[in-house]
Amino acid sequence: MTDTRALKANIAAASDLDAPARSLWHRLEPPILGISGILVLLLLWEALPRIITMNAGTKLFFTTPSQIVGTLWRLFSTGAIWTPLGVSASGFALGLALAIVVGIPLGVLIGRSRTLNAMLDPFVTAFNATPRLVFLPLVMLWFGLGLWTKVVIVFVGAVFPLLINTYEGVRNADKTLINVVRSFGASEWDVARLVVVPNAMPYIIAGLRLAIGRAVLGVVVAEFFGSESGLGVMMVQAAGRYQVDVVFSGLIVFAALSLAMTALVQMLEARLSRWRPQQAGGE
Amino acid sequence: MSDEAAPRQSFTDKHRKVLLGFLAVAMFIAAWQAAFLFVPFNKLFISKPDLIWNALIDLIVSGDLLRDLAVSAAPFLYGFSAAVIVGVPLGVVMGWRAPVRYTLDPIMTIFYASPLVALAPLVIVFFGVGVSGKAIIIFVLSVFPFIFNAQAGVRAIDPLLINVVRSLGGSERDLYLKVLIPGVLPYIVAGARIAVGRGLIGILVGEFFAASEGIGYAIARFGDLFALDKMFACILAIMVIAVVLTEGIRWAERAAFPWRVGQ
Repeated sequence: MTDTRALKANIAAASDLDAPARSLWHRLEPPILGISGILVLLLLWEALPRIITMNAGTKLFFTTPSQIVGTLWRLFSTGAIWTPLGVSASGFALGLALAIVVGIPLGVLIGRSRTLNAMLDPFVTAFNATPRLVFLPLVMLWFGLGLWTKVVIVFVGAVFPLLINTYEGVRNADKTLINVVRSFGASEWDVARLVVVPNAMPYIIAGLRLAIGRAVLGVVVAEFFGSESGLGVMMVQAAGRYQVDVVFSGLIVFAALSLAMTALVQMLEARLSRWRPQQAGGE
Repeated sequence: MSDEAAPRQSFTDKHRKVLLGFLAVAMFIAAWQAAFLFVPFNKLFISKPDLIWNALIDLIVSGDLLRDLAVSAAPFLYGFSAAVIVGVPLGVVMGWRAPVRYTLDPIMTIFYASPLVALAPLVIVFFGVGVSGKAIIIFVLSVFPFIFNAQAGVRAIDPLLINVVRSLGGSERDLYLKVLIPGVLPYIVAGARIAVGRGLIGILVGEFFAASEGIGYAIARFGDLFALDKMFACILAIMVIAVVLTEGIRWAERAAFPWRVGQ
C-alpha cells in the first residue's frame, strides 16, 4: 500500500521534472511557517525574563510557558482540576442542550410562519445585538449563585446563533421540494421533518459551532461574577493571588474544551451530511 | 420593483412586518404590566414597565445615565480605535503576503478560539480599574474580527483585477487605491459589526469586575441595591445602544456597498 503510493509519488515527481522541489516546499511551507511561528513566540516568551531584567512587581505578574505546562500537569496529576472542571462542564452542557432544544424548533417555526417571524423579529434582533452579560446581575438575583445562573447565561448566549441560523436555513429550503411533498398530502410536520430540517442542517451545524463559542464565553463570565465553584472561579481566585500560571492553565483548558467540542460538531456534520449529493460548487 | 408588481397594496399589507413587530412589542409590555394584576408583585425581584419607564426618565433627567455612559464610552473608543489601527493593517498584510499568513494564522486562530475574556481578571489586576485596563480588554476582544475580516477581504480580491491594473500600467499606488481598498472595506465594516458586540462585552466585563463608575458598574450596583427598576432602565439603555450600533453599521453597509447585499 505505502509502497505503491511512494512509487506513484516517484512517478509523479519524475514526470514533473522541472519543479519537484518547489512543489514540495509549496506543500510544506504553511505548516512549517505556522509551527515555527508558534515556536518562536513560545521561545521568546520563555526567554523574556532572561533577556530583560524585571523589577519584582512585574515578575509577580509574569509566567513562562514551561511554568504553565508544569502547573497544568500538577493540576491534572493531583486531580485538583476535576471538581471545578466538572462544575463548569455541567453548566456548559445543560445550557447548550437547552439552547438546542429551544433554538432549533423555534427557528423552524419562525422560518415557516411569516406572522410569527414578524412578531418575534424585534425581540430576536434586540437580544442578539445585546451582550448577554448585561442580564447577569438580574439572573444572579433570580437564580442565585449556583448552577442555574450559569445554565441561564449559557442558554441565552447560545440560543440566538442556533435560532437565527436555523431560521436562515429554513428560509433557504427549496420551494419545489416543499410543494412536491405537499402535493402528496404531507402535513406541516412532514414538511419540516422531510424537507426543511434536513435542508437546513448545514446552517444548523454552523449555528451550533457559533453557539459553542458563545457557551464557553458564557461559562467563563458567569463563573467570574456569579458562582461559587468552577474553573472560572478558580481563575479569578488565582488572579487575586497572583498565580498567573493557574490563570493561563484555566484559559488553556477552556480553549481545549471549545476546540474539542468544535471537532465533535465537525464529526457530526460529516456524519449528518453523508446522504447529501456532492455538489460541484459546494455551498 | 415590488411596487410595480402590486400597485394597489394597502398600507397594512405593505407595512405588515413592521406593524406586527410593533404589535408584538406592545403586547409583550402590556402583558408584563397586566401580569401583576393577578400575581403579587415583589419589588425586590421584578419590576413593572411603568416603574422602569419612570426610572429611565429619572436617570436621564438627573444626568446619571449620561454620565455613566460617557465614562464607559472613553475606554470603548480607545480600545476600539486601537483594534482598528492594529487589526486592519495586520489583516491586510496577512492576506497580501502568503508567508506572513502562514506564519501568523495558526497563532491568531488559537488566540481567537480561546475565551480571552478569561484573561480579564489578570488585566484588571495588572492595569487597575481605570480607563487603561478596560481599554485593553476591549482591544483584545475586538481586534480579531478586524484581523480575520481584513484578511478575508484581501483574499477575496479577484486576481484578474490586479492583473488588469498591472497590464494597463497602473502603479502600486493605483493597485492599493483602486483595487485593495474598495475590496477590503466592506469586509472591514462587516468585521466592525462583530467587533462592536465583543467590545460591549469587554466594557461590561471590565466594569462588573471592578469599577466605581460606568454603565456596567451602574447595572451591577443597582442589582446589589435591589433597585430593579433602575437596573432594567440601564439594561434597556445598553440594549438600545447595541441595537443602534449593530443595525446602524448594517444600514451603512447597505448604503455604502450596495453590490454586496445578500452576502
